[in-house]
Amino acid sequence: MATSPALDVPPEPPSKRRKTSQDPPSRNESPDIGTVPSSLPAVADLAEQLDDLERKKYVKGQKLGSGQYADVFSAHLVSDPSKLVAIKKIKVGPEVKEFGISYDSLREIRFLQELDHPNIIKLHAVFSTKNQNLNLVLEHLPQGDLLKLIQDTASITYTAADIKAWMLMLMRATHFCHAHGILHRDIKPNNLLLAADGSVKLADFGLARAMADPFQHMTYNTITIWYRPPELFFQAQHYGGAVDVWSCGCVFAELISREVLFRAWPETEINMVKLICEKVGTPMEENWPGVSKLRGYVTPTDIVPLKPKEQWFAAFRAVGEVGVDLLIKMLTLDPRERLTAEGVLRHEYWTSDPRPSKLRDLPRKGGGEKAMGQDLTQRGGELPRGDTGRADRVARKIDFGAGR
Amino acid sequence: MTQHLNEDDLYRTSSQYRLWSFSPESLATLRRKTHELAITRASQYAPKSKSSLWQDGTAVDCLNAEECLRLVQRYLDQVRTTSDHFKWPVPVKATAAQYLARFYLSNSPLTYPPKEIYKTVLFLACKTEATHMTLSEYARRISTPADEVLAPEYKVMQALRFTLDVRQPYRGLKGVLMELLNLAEGRVGEVECVETGGAKALQAEMLALEVPARTAQTMWSAKAAGKIESKDVMDRINAAYSAARTILDGPALLTDAYFLFTPSQILLAALHLADEPLTSFYLRTKLPLDSDLRPKILTTIAACAELLASFSGSHILSKDERAALEQKLEGCRDPSTRDLVGSHAVAKRGGDGGEEAEEKARKKKAAREKHLKEGDDLFGPSLNGKG
Repeated sequence: MATSPALDVPPEPPSKRRKTSQDPPSRNESPDIGTVPSSLPAVADLAEQLDDLERKKYVKGQKLGSGQYADVFSAHLVSDPSKLVAIKKIKVGPEVKEFGISYDSLREIRFLQELDHPNIIKLHAVFSTKNQNLNLVLEHLPQGDLLKLIQDTASITYTAADIKAWMLMLMRATHFCHAHGILHRDIKPNNLLLAADGSVKLADFGLARAMADPFQHMTYNTITIWYRPPELFFQAQHYGGAVDVWSCGCVFAELISREVLFRAWPETEINMVKLICEKVGTPMEENWPGVSKLRGYVTPTDIVPLKPKEQWFAAFRAVGEVGVDLLIKMLTLDPRERLTAEGVLRHEYWTSDPRPSKLRDLPRKGGGEKAMGQDLTQRGGELPRGDTGRADRVARKIDFGAGR
Repeated sequence: MTQHLNEDDLYRTSSQYRLWSFSPESLATLRRKTHELAITRASQYAPKSKSSLWQDGTAVDCLNAEECLRLVQRYLDQVRTTSDHFKWPVPVKATAAQYLARFYLSNSPLTYPPKEIYKTVLFLACKTEATHMTLSEYARRISTPADEVLAPEYKVMQALRFTLDVRQPYRGLKGVLMELLNLAEGRVGEVECVETGGAKALQAEMLALEVPARTAQTMWSAKAAGKIESKDVMDRINAAYSAARTILDGPALLTDAYFLFTPSQILLAALHLADEPLTSFYLRTKLPLDSDLRPKILTTIAACAELLASFSGSHILSKDERAALEQKLEGCRDPSTRDLVGSHAVAKRGGDGGEEAEEKARKKKAAREKHLKEGDDLFGPSLNGKG
C-alpha cells in the first residue's frame, strides 16, 4: 500500500489540540504515567497529557529577574495560593542552532531531578509551553543568597556559630551530591540561596556533571575562577569530589573574612595561580607528588613554602583552632590529600564549641526574592554582577564577641 | 549525621526507580494503552468509509503492537551500533538506548517513527553524558539535516518526563571485577557481616571452585591437566568480566531489563550467565547464607538472567523485515506528526509571539482599568448620568 487516504486530512496543529483539553483535577503529586485521567481527549499522547497537567498546576506571577540565560518568575499553586514556587523559564539563545537544548539546561534538569535534600534547591517539576520553552518549577527561596549577606557589612553581622551552621548545611549538600556521583563544579556564595526558614540551599547545577570513570577525560575549564582549585589551573584531565571541597573551603574563608579568598584581579588563570602560591604555598612535588607532570603545571619562580598553621590562624582565628584546622585541610593543594566531603563532615569542628546556630537565629535578608531572581538567571561559572568594587570594602563586621 | 542512607535508599530516590521501573504487568498495560491511543488517534485521520476498520484496532494495514515493539527494538540496536561507530563512551550508548525505550512507552511508532526519533535521542544522550560533538558535525556524519535532528527534541524531553539520568550497570561490573581480582590475590580478608575464614581461605576457595558449565558464556575453560593456580583464577575472572560486559552491551540494552531490574541485579545476572560458580562465590562473600533477603535476591537475579538469556541476535529484525514494516507504517502513520521540522518552527515562532502578545494585552488592560479607576476617584462619577 503506497499512501493512505488519511494523508489528505490537513494536520491539526498540536497547540490547537491542547486547547480543547478540559482543566484537569489539580493534584500535588506528579501522577503516575499509567494513571492519566481519562477525561482528557484521546488524541494527546500520555506524555503530552502529563506535561499539560503539570503546567496547569501553577499560576505565574511577577517576574523576579531576567538574564541572558533565563527569566525567573514568582508563582504559586492553583490549588493553594499560599504555596509559592519560582519558575525559571529557560531562554532560547543563539547557540540553539548549534546545540539544540543547551548543555546547561540539560545538566541542571538531569541532576536536580535526582537530588532531594533539605540543603539542595528542590526541583518540583519541569514543563514545557506550547512555544517549546523549558520551565523549571523550583523551590521558592525568598531570602536571597549568602553573597549578599557577606557583602552587606553595613547592616549584617553574624557569628562564628552562624558560619558553622551555614557551612554544615553546605557540606551536607555537597556530600549528598558526591554520594550520588554528582560533582557540582560551581560552588560559590551566590549559588547558596537562603530559604524562608534561614536554611542554605545549594543551587545552579548548570555546570554539574556525573563523576567519570577512570581515564575518561573531563574539562578543566570549569568552576568560577575565584573558587577553582589548583589542579584545574594545571589542567588535570580527571578529578573527583575534591574540586568541590576546595570551593567549599573558599566559601568558608570568605564567610570568615568577608572577602573573596583568592580574588585575582584581573581574573586570569596566571593571577589565580600566583595568589594560591602566595596564600597557601607553591605546589611542588614535595607537597603534591605528581603535580609537575600535570599538563598545565606552571608556578611563579619565587617559591613560597607552605604557609604555617600559625599564619592561617592569625587570619582566620574567628573560627578557632579547630575551625582553622578544617579550613587548612579543605584548602590542601594536593587533591588526594584534601579532605573529602565526608571527611569534612567527620571533622571535630562540628562537634566542638560553639554549637552551630539554630536556623531561626540565623541572619536573613540576603537580598530578598529579587536576589533569587538574579542568581537563577545567571549562567554557571560567571562572577556575580556589580561585584568589581568589592576590594574597596574591606570593613570587617563580624560580631564574634556575641556568644549565644 | 543522624540518617544513614545506604545505596539501596539512594537508588530508590532516583528518577529511574521512581518513574521508569515497572512490574512486567504494568509495563505491558502501559504499552497496550499507548498502542490503543495511537490507533484511536490514527483512526481520526482515516476516511469515513474505512473508519470501522480503524476503530476496532484491527485495520489490516496497520502495525500491531508486537510489530511496533520489534521495530523499536531494531532501532535500539541502531542506537547501539551508531554510538559504537562514533566511539562514544559506553554511558552514551546505554543512556540513548534507554531514552529511546522510554520514549516508546508513551508514544507509538505509528505517531513518531523510530527512524526519525533515534537520531534525536542519540544526540540528546551525547549532550547529557558530557560527550561533545557539535550538531553540524553530528548531522553531517549521520547524513541528516541538522533541523531534523533537533525538531523532535522537545517532544523527546516531554516523553522522558524531563528526567535524563540513566543508572547503568557498567561501573558496578567493573567494581565486581576489581573485588574478585583482589580476592584472588588474597588481598581481602575481612568481609563485612560474613564469616569468611580470612584471605587465605577465600583464595583457596576460589582455586577450588567448580568449573563453569558448558553452556556458560565465558570463554574460559579449565586446563586439561594440572592444578588450577592463582593465575588461572585471574584469567577466569577476566574472561567472566568480558563475557558479562558483552551481555550488558547487547541483551541488557535490547530487552526490558532496565525497566524491570536494577543496575546491580542486571550486572549480577550477566555475570551469572558468564560464570555461575564464580558469581555464586562472589555472592557468598556479600550475602550471609542465613540472610532472610538471600532467597529473594537470588530469585530476582535468576529472573533477570533468564530474561537476558532469552534474547538472541536473531530476534532483531533483518534489514528487509525492517523495510517491510516501515513501508507498512507509511500507510498508517499519523499525518499530523509527519512534518516535525515544520511544526517545530511554527511552535517556536507562533508560540513566542502569542505569549508576548498576551502579556502586552494584559498590561494594556491593567493600565486602562487603572486609568478608569483613577478617573473615577479624581473627577467623580462620569457625566452621562449612568452611575
